[in-house]
Amino acid sequence: MAKGVRMENIWKIFMPKVIALKNINVDIRPGEFFVILGPSGSGKTTLLRIIAGLEIPTRGRVVIGDQVVVDADKGVFVEPRDRNIGMVFQNWALYPHMTAYDNIAFPLRIKKLPREEIDKRVREVAEALGIAELLDRKPAHMSGGQQQRVAVARALVKQPDVLLLDEPFSNLDARIRVTAREFVKEIQKKLGITTILVTHDQADAFAVGDRVMVLRNGEMQQLGVPEELYGEPANVFIANFIGDPPMNIYKLSIDHPMVKQLGVLEEINEDYKEVYIGIRPDEAVALPLNEEGHLTGTVTIVEYVGSRRYAKLDLGNGISMRTLLECRADHGDRVRIRVYKLHIFAPDGKRIRTLTLVH
Amino acid sequence: MKKLFKYRRTGLIGSPYKILVLNIVAWVIGVLWITPFIGIFMTSIKPFREVVLHGWWTISPFTFTLKNYVDALFNPMFSLSRGILNSFIIAIPSTVIPVTVAALTAYGFARFSLPIKKYLFATILFLMAVPQQMTIIPIFFLLKNLSLLNTYLGLILVHSSWGIPWITFFLRNYFSLLPVELEEAARVDGATDFQVFRKVVLPLAIPGIISASVLQFAWVWNDFFFALMLIFDPDKMVVTQMLPRLKGQYQVDWGLLSSGSVIAMLAPLLVYAFFNKYYMSGFRGWAMKR
Repeated sequence: MAKGVRMENIWKIFMPKVIALKNINVDIRPGEFFVILGPSGSGKTTLLRIIAGLEIPTRGRVVIGDQVVVDADKGVFVEPRDRNIGMVFQNWALYPHMTAYDNIAFPLRIKKLPREEIDKRVREVAEALGIAELLDRKPAHMSGGQQQRVAVARALVKQPDVLLLDEPFSNLDARIRVTAREFVKEIQKKLGITTILVTHDQADAFAVGDRVMVLRNGEMQQLGVPEELYGEPANVFIANFIGDPPMNIYKLSIDHPMVKQLGVLEEINEDYKEVYIGIRPDEAVALPLNEEGHLTGTVTIVEYVGSRRYAKLDLGNGISMRTLLECRADHGDRVRIRVYKLHIFAPDGKRIRTLTLVH
Repeated sequence: MKKLFKYRRTGLIGSPYKILVLNIVAWVIGVLWITPFIGIFMTSIKPFREVVLHGWWTISPFTFTLKNYVDALFNPMFSLSRGILNSFIIAIPSTVIPVTVAALTAYGFARFSLPIKKYLFATILFLMAVPQQMTIIPIFFLLKNLSLLNTYLGLILVHSSWGIPWITFFLRNYFSLLPVELEEAARVDGATDFQVFRKVVLPLAIPGIISASVLQFAWVWNDFFFALMLIFDPDKMVVTQMLPRLKGQYQVDWGLLSSGSVIAMLAPLLVYAFFNKYYMSGFRGWAMKR
């Protein structure tokens, strides 16, 4: 049942001159939970709508399974209704004049399935998603989480080849969000259905995604499993975008003392005047002065976030850094900083390499 | 949708001074509007003698009578009941046909792209400004050549084509207010364009459709000019044509005339009252855009 989705050289240009997508190439594997992650305006929803057939690419083609659903150059276009996809919209787009039951039954009624078959399938999927007791309610009388489940049920009931989710969690409260994520992931794994989710929230992306693609201004920045994106960011944008709290990133000239202290020079082969250096707050520790480390600094702020403490440090020369705090330091104390991992980027933002300084 | 209304309402309630002013304005307009109606109504339930001797606004002497109504309805010369029947025969199809056609047209204008859409729509709006009197001569000859003069069908067609432009305009605005995602969801769910229209758009647009129907019905019912020009067989005349004939040849029977007017008003009034709920929400939905 599960089918892969292949996108080849997708361009989308909104006339007169907004380039929404630039040459996107992705091969989504059958049964995969694929996440498209990007800030607002990055073109992620446009890409999803192109897969759904609600938008037509300016160039390029999309293949679902082995069927070409759109090919801008050859003028092939398969209507959304013939693509056998299920889609959950950002605001769920439940039909307000129908009960939950009629909403879920809608795709099957359009297909003119026999009444008993419809009833059986609606009740099955409602049972599976835990909304069996809501079936005779209208959307206005349901909570956000319940509406979302109905929307997912409506998308799943026709047993689609591909499930598309457009920011399905962004309208939910923080707490329901976590359960909703788990529930979507569970359903996806149980059914083994190819799923593509669009989000601007990295927590959503990492929680559910098998692979994550990061988009920025219509360009693909990086594609990989979540660990790759976090551990080996492809460029400064990804390094900055992913991770919470955000990475400390500095643009330093080659003869800056910090560059020497961290031993960066030996790792760069090419001749740069400047480099970006990135250190994740979670990959550096502030320790008492008598411990071994790479840098020293003065504590300016201590933040307590529950499981751990972060210190904002002043390193002199106008450089400040956030690191984990693992000693009893307070405002004004001098501390030693031990850096475990270091990300080095070329002046144009491309990754040069990631150094592990301390194991 | 609901939230927006709430916001608007609290905005009005804002300051007590504002409420007072708004209330005064509303009451003044309301009273001015209803005064002639009250006068006509009072005249219609008085005997002719009292009207002529004491005027139509006097409370005493006041003798209540329904004689005027009975006379008006069953006038042997010009039967008002026949006129009412004819009005229904004209008004019902003249509402259903244009609303149906215009709903489809309006949806096309609201959601589909076609080459000269903007200009086409502008043309429709522009031609709406042409007064009836300017079109009546060509219409007259057109109907004459089609042998539709002095027929129900002819008048129905004229009213329908007169209604289509403004209903298209009205419903286009209404449709473009509906959330597009619902239609997209339906398309992904497998619906054809027409199924999207029939199963999602139309049910959601019911307030708008009813508003348009009520207005069109009242317009056709109240129309005098087209009927006067195109229908001349006394048996086929609509109620608005019957009314002036109740006036009489040598003297004006005010009682008869006013009771006839009240009867003629009844149908659109009942339609308004019956569909009031939808009608109001239709207009609110329409006004919400700005």
